[in-house]
Amino acid sequence: MKKFLFFTLCLLFPAVVAMAAEQCRDEVFLRRAYLTVTGALPTPEECVKFLDSNNPNKREALIDELLDSELALKYTQMRWGDILRIKSEFPSNLWPNGVQAYNRWIYEQLLNNVPYDKMIQKLLLSEGSNFRAAAANFYRGFQKRTPQNFYNNINLLFLGNRNCKDNGYLCFSQIKFKSTKEWKEEIIYLDIHKEKPWQKIVLEDGTVLTPKLNNDWREEYVAWLTSPKNRRFAEVLVNRMWYWIFGKGIVHEPDNWCAENKPSDPQLLADLTDYFLKNKFDMKLLMKKILLSEQFNSKAAPEGFYQPQRLPAEVIVDALASTTGIWNTYHSRVPEPFTYYPPKTRSTHLGDATVSSTELELFGKVSRDVSLESQRNNTITSRQLLYLMNSSELEQRIRKSATLQKIYMQSSNVAQLADAISLLVLSRRSTPQEVKLYENHMKQNNLPLMELAVDIMWMQLNSNEFLYNH
Amino acid sequence: MRKITLTLALLLTIGFAATAQQAKSVILIYLDGGPAQTEMFDPKPAAGRNYYGNYKGVCKTNVEGIEIGEKLPLLATMADKYSIIRSMTHGSNAHETGHYAMITGDTSGGAIVYPSFGAVISYMKKDTYKGVLPCYISVTSANSRFNEGGFLGNEYKSFDTGGRPESDEYEVEGIVNKFVNKERLNKRMDLLNNFEGSLNKKELDSLRATNMEFIWGESREVFNLNHEADSVRQRYGNSRIGQSCLVARRLVEAGVPFVNVRTTGWDTHKKHFQKMNSMLPALDKAVSALLADLDAKGLLESTIVLLGGEFGRTPKVLWEAPWNGGRAHYGKTFSYMVAGGGFHGGKVVGATDKTGETVVERPVRPCDLIGTIYLLMGIDPYGTLPHVSEGNLPILPSLLEKKSEGLLYEIIDIKKPSHEK
Repeated sequence: MKKFLFFTLCLLFPAVVAMAAEQCRDEVFLRRAYLTVTGALPTPEECVKFLDSNNPNKREALIDELLDSELALKYTQMRWGDILRIKSEFPSNLWPNGVQAYNRWIYEQLLNNVPYDKMIQKLLLSEGSNFRAAAANFYRGFQKRTPQNFYNNINLLFLGNRNCKDNGYLCFSQIKFKSTKEWKEEIIYLDIHKEKPWQKIVLEDGTVLTPKLNNDWREEYVAWLTSPKNRRFAEVLVNRMWYWIFGKGIVHEPDNWCAENKPSDPQLLADLTDYFLKNKFDMKLLMKKILLSEQFNSKAAPEGFYQPQRLPAEVIVDALASTTGIWNTYHSRVPEPFTYYPPKTRSTHLGDATVSSTELELFGKVSRDVSLESQRNNTITSRQLLYLMNSSELEQRIRKSATLQKIYMQSSNVAQLADAISLLVLSRRSTPQEVKLYENHMKQNNLPLMELAVDIMWMQLNSNEFLYNH
Repeated sequence: MRKITLTLALLLTIGFAATAQQAKSVILIYLDGGPAQTEMFDPKPAAGRNYYGNYKGVCKTNVEGIEIGEKLPLLATMADKYSIIRSMTHGSNAHETGHYAMITGDTSGGAIVYPSFGAVISYMKKDTYKGVLPCYISVTSANSRFNEGGFLGNEYKSFDTGGRPESDEYEVEGIVNKFVNKERLNKRMDLLNNFEGSLNKKELDSLRATNMEFIWGESREVFNLNHEADSVRQRYGNSRIGQSCLVARRLVEAGVPFVNVRTTGWDTHKKHFQKMNSMLPALDKAVSALLADLDAKGLLESTIVLLGGEFGRTPKVLWEAPWNGGRAHYGKTFSYMVAGGGFHGGKVVGATDKTGETVVERPVRPCDLIGTIYLLMGIDPYGTLPHVSEGNLPILPSLLEKKSEGLLYEIIDIKKPSHEK
């Protein structure tokens, strides 16, 4: 009996302990969830609300709240904009009106949680004016407007195929463009009277397509592409979503699916794809499932599964603005006339890779030249750290920050000051050891409280804890 | 097609025996917006008011037969130091495409975005250049109309100094921060060090240590214009362009391979002549001082100086409303000034017709100019660059796609290889 109990304990106990130990703390989950879903830091009020909540299901409640937020929709819109290459000028040349319309279209798909298959059908079967039938911008955003190039990009985006060899591109050979009298307006239309230029269209998997004369030849291809039977179509989105959340795909690179590039965890990919198909291509549900997964709730590596990622350029730039309360201003130099974005616009919401700033360039904003996820470069460089360490631009923002002034006015001691700044920058309260560290720093350098506040904010903005999603 | 061009590139590359590299650095003085060749290096006084506007005269230069615009008297005294290309052409009248062509040499319009030639040089010199300063620096900022790292990626983009070199204190972003002295920064670093957890700490600390050297080392002094005598600073002029050129000279002296001095305001659709009256004298002063200074220090031999923009301006003046005496974008003909680093002085390449609207002799394409610069910098213009998903791509595809009119062998010492057209 004793022996049996011992065995049971040995079997059960480590598993239970391991489960509890691997789960990240609430404050870590909070910050991770906000940054992943919305690309923004939680406000101090949001931090306190979540941290002090006794709701046993508060993580799920937070995920639900975040997924429905405006910030989340806009952040996902940015991710689509990156791979659809939404940009006013070179090399996409969509022009600002087209960019606005296209972004709005994506936003509406996300707002209404349009199933992935339906969204891609609408995108690929689009035609009409680039200003009025927004999805048609898909076909305008290419320097080289050839059926082969459209097809290569469709393969890359929706099948992760960088090297397609079949003749499916013929389905896109009716697409034509004509200009209108309105400046930069263009009509994307189909030349449906075109003679069939082929004998037979055979896709890589052996499927034979037989589009009819005087019809939209794209229809049959798109039906094949987006069918649940074409499992790869669903898998690529599932994997892309995983990549968006963890910074590394189950198949990695996420846009390079080939025989040599195997999934790191085939079962995980299969389970998530089954779930996605069972829920009829519901992207929001899929995201929720991943966010509630053991992996997303685990501690950061090396202790747990979650691999820390440097914050994306736009997220860092916005965080520097939201913490100091001093925002960059953005404008488009494309003369139609020049567009000035409203004050306090987040860079994650710009929607146009032509609009940029020195800081965004420094931290590696996506240029949207090609549809590869690897365009986003989140490595940390000495120049980025140089900017944080010693630029007068950031120094002045900290010194002129009304937010920091207010914290200083409301704090009567170092502990209060430290808590308030930590909630603002690191989304957590400070620890007693940290308060001691700050007190020593103040004493040794004979600093007034406001100068200490400046140094603490500077230090937190330079810290690995700030720079990484962890 | 790509395979064929690559094979062609391989064949041509065999002929490239690493000829003695003549140039060590490039200074690109970029007149953003498109400067008027008509008022600068290709004046046409005989074409009358409809073309030459309110100007009448020209400056005769110290080289027999070469005349330049009347607002460039200082540059006129040293035409033996530079050559003029009067037949630049790419045909693009839009800022972004003109800029892209002029700064990458690529006009293919394909799906691939090429890096700027500054980024290419920065990439090519990454193993041989050992300086503390970045390989490619923009004074004070790069043009951000497209991703100039192209497919090489962000790390080869320029370091933008920011700040105002013409002010008392030139605050180079990240280096000179007037609020924080060395002691305070050290104390802050101590605080950070005691605060931080282990996450990627080793890498961050090593990058920060490099930065501390960069902030307090010699680079700080290179940017400090107070080391220059007042008389020198005045010779360059107290303008943004003047002091930027002085910074460029100091950077080249310190060994930086590529400096981009960018000035804006050259997109003169309206009030063109008024603007030229105020902008050209400052430019004249700055560029002539730079050339003279480089020459006096023996640096001109190894430093290429380029002056131009993304295109030129319409030779015909737009007198009608709303322009009221302006010039629009013109990519069909425009001029570039080239000097130093192996470029001959006192020469004119190409010519335009009576009104300056058409190239009539020896057209020069962007790839021809950039290819020649590569050649002088010891970089094979028929070589390749690595692309993340496409393998090796030709460094200048236009050279191989018959969009070239030939490299500028007529104004350099390097002989044209027999297999080149």
